[in-house]
Amino acid sequence: MGSRRTTHDVAIIAMGCTPFRDHWNSSADDLLVDAVQECVGSLESVTLDDVDAFWVGTQGSGMSGQTLARPLRLTGKPVTRVENYCATGSEAFRNAVFAVASGAYDMVMATGVEKLKDSSFSGLSAVYPPDDGTAVDWTAPAGFSLLAPAYQEAYGVDARDMRSALTKVAMKNHANGALNDRAQFRKAVTVETVENSPRIAGPLGVMDCSGVSDGAAAAIIVRAEDAHRYTSKPVYLKGMSFVAGSGAGLASDGYDFTSFPEVVAAARQAYEQAGVTDPAAQISLAEVHDCFTPTEVVLMEDLGFSERGKAWRDLLDGRYDLGGGLPVNTDGGLKSFGHPIGATGLRMMFECFTQLRGDAGARQVPDAKLAVAQNLGGQPGSCVAFVAVLGSER
Amino acid sequence: MPDQGIEAYAAYLPAYVLTDNRLDAGGPPRTGGPSRGVAAYDEDVVTMAAEALRHLTAAGGPLLLATTTAPYEAKTAAGIVHEALGLDPGVSAVDLRGHRSGATALDLVLRAGALAAAADVRTTRPGAPDELGQGDAAAAFAGGGARAAALLGRAGHTTEILERWRLPGERHDRVWDERFTAEILAAAGVDAARRALAEASLDAVDHVVVSSSNPRAAAALRKALRGAGQDAALERATGFTGAAHPGLLLAATLDDAEPGQTILLLSATEGADAFVFRVGDGIREARTGPPVREQLAARQQLGYGRYLRWRGLLDVQGPARPAAPAPAAPPMHRRAGWKYRLEGSQCGACGRVTTPPTRVCAACGINASESRIGATAAQRDAGIAGAGEAKVSLRDRTARVVSVTRDHLTTMPEPEVAVVIADVDGGGRLSVYATDVPPGDVTVGMAMTPVFRRLWTTDAIHNYFWKLRPAPLTEGQ
Repeated sequence: MGSRRTTHDVAIIAMGCTPFRDHWNSSADDLLVDAVQECVGSLESVTLDDVDAFWVGTQGSGMSGQTLARPLRLTGKPVTRVENYCATGSEAFRNAVFAVASGAYDMVMATGVEKLKDSSFSGLSAVYPPDDGTAVDWTAPAGFSLLAPAYQEAYGVDARDMRSALTKVAMKNHANGALNDRAQFRKAVTVETVENSPRIAGPLGVMDCSGVSDGAAAAIIVRAEDAHRYTSKPVYLKGMSFVAGSGAGLASDGYDFTSFPEVVAAARQAYEQAGVTDPAAQISLAEVHDCFTPTEVVLMEDLGFSERGKAWRDLLDGRYDLGGGLPVNTDGGLKSFGHPIGATGLRMMFECFTQLRGDAGARQVPDAKLAVAQNLGGQPGSCVAFVAVLGSER
Repeated sequence: MPDQGIEAYAAYLPAYVLTDNRLDAGGPPRTGGPSRGVAAYDEDVVTMAAEALRHLTAAGGPLLLATTTAPYEAKTAAGIVHEALGLDPGVSAVDLRGHRSGATALDLVLRAGALAAAADVRTTRPGAPDELGQGDAAAAFAGGGARAAALLGRAGHTTEILERWRLPGERHDRVWDERFTAEILAAAGVDAARRALAEASLDAVDHVVVSSSNPRAAAALRKALRGAGQDAALERATGFTGAAHPGLLLAATLDDAEPGQTILLLSATEGADAFVFRVGDGIREARTGPPVREQLAARQQLGYGRYLRWRGLLDVQGPARPAAPAPAAPPMHRRAGWKYRLEGSQCGACGRVTTPPTRVCAACGINASESRIGATAAQRDAGIAGAGEAKVSLRDRTARVVSVTRDHLTTMPEPEVAVVIADVDGGGRLSVYATDVPPGDVTVGMAMTPVFRRLWTTDAIHNYFWKLRPAPLTEGQ
């Protein structure tokens, strides 16, 4: 597998992230301006003019680089719009990184935005190209709910234990979100609230699903050697990988719905670049793509945090709690922080950035050195996967 | 007429039976009352015809679809069935419309060697006196031989009569006072039966089978012709199934008839058509689907509320979700093999099956030809098959559930539907809806078989594709 660390190391020197909310009074433009203002405003010596190139990720809230150029009234700047399902925000970051690492630019900005609440629908409603009508009209939760029965069958986990593990994911992430002013849902939830919520797909109820919200996030990236010119606390990118699945998991037999092979491959490459040999021991905290509760269970294994078939038990044992051995989704995750598609990948980075700088307040993970940001899109069997390792030291 | 006959046949009864149509049932339903067969919400005459015709083969004549409930005005429904059956393009596809069309289709099976299905989905206004007297079914016949039955005589009697009618766009038949029409139809039936028997040089037959859109006429004719009543008994279980009815009753009779026995089939609607058959020596091998009796026994009880919702007679609030997208004509055409016949592509290099079919194998990423990623355009022009070019039909194979979910936000007229990922025996994976089974009953490992259904209708386009239903116990396990 050819995936090397970039020739030039890079660092994030500033970030911004709007609260994720029902932003009835803000457009996608407004949200981007808010995130970029916070990001640029946090650096005393930098103005928007100093940024050489921009990336904006959005799944459906705009077309072309003008999605960002227009609201910011950028003049004479290159802006690229990217889309990669729910990993869109990470994709904006990844391409911005390559641009600065290549030497083409000295300072770049990655942004992501999604304005979901202008539709009258509660879930996601993407528009696909015309087709032959043979595909299942999946809801996102239906696609991801396939993980639960397959996982139970593969590891002999009974329905009660599986339910408890899923409930634990929801409760843990809501408890974390309750400590975070920027989160969409800032309230801890009970077992009853989670397990009695209206059914959506298979075993999943509303409280097994991530929050649908509006939001934007932004990051400024420079080469690592330049970082200290701008901030005393840069966050370094140690490893990064992205895999677009072939879709074979839905197109031929074999895939068993207990794992995301795309995530496993991306994680292996990112860890290798970062020199991580034992993620379960070396990683201080992780932001993972808990779009639906079973996703987080499976990801704990795909990322090497739990042994195969053991993540449900580790979750119940509190290993991934804020005070546990490896805190996961300390900011509330998609579940409680919310999931405006194009912004989510950068929101994960924002929490890693905040934690690695020691600025996470009540959520601070002590002595945080290495953080994982893992973002995915699509559905089990046919997905795209991003994994990054970020560190407080170069 | 030694050459005219029925070579093979099949009947299709939908999986549901409605026995109680009380809106506000206060007690148990009356026992021994009539019941009707109900096509599921995802069935129509195209899907039922495709199922009935599934294992029949054309003998060179046209493909006919007889119905009073065609899914489209102006567009030929038989063309969709033709595609699903994968018939040669040289075989024409024709719709026959009207109550009499079921008998006409059978006539053309006999005379022209047609491959014909008759199918109907019948509704009345809720609470109509004959609501349980109408039903849904399909029957199919292949001509060009007489393995099942040879024609000994036939006669028709055309009478213009205002009995059952419906304007385009209307849901239910309007019906004239049946005491008037019964008299006309019974007279036409007696005349047709007499002439057909005369042509067959028979005074009596072993089986009298009478179908009529008018139950009074049916009863009078059964009595006059001294029928044994097995046709009436079946009708009480299925309802009158419109254009499908004479074929359904004939199929049920053939299921049990012995070689050499004679059958009088009389259809009295818009006049009358009578056929006299001698059952063929190959009758036991001529049935290509499960017997009617077996299908009756397998039916699931359906509640009246669910029935009304399925038929759009009760407008139930669905989820806050956009309608499923309408399919587009060019992709449907390009992928007709997949959409209508469930054809995957089989890799020439590794042998694995990719679904939907693609030029590059999903399992190994290469193809059978020299190029590393699929056949080149030049190879395709030269007829060299790449991985995506060797098609294999999965429609008659068993598939086993790998994982399953229940969509509680479905836009279909159900509170929930099951969606399964299933691996096909011999290769291939299907991500499809399950049907004819309570969603909660679908489990990992369950054996299922493909069935052609209508997924949804958006922008006036009916979207047909395959679903999976539990495999009969005789197939798989």
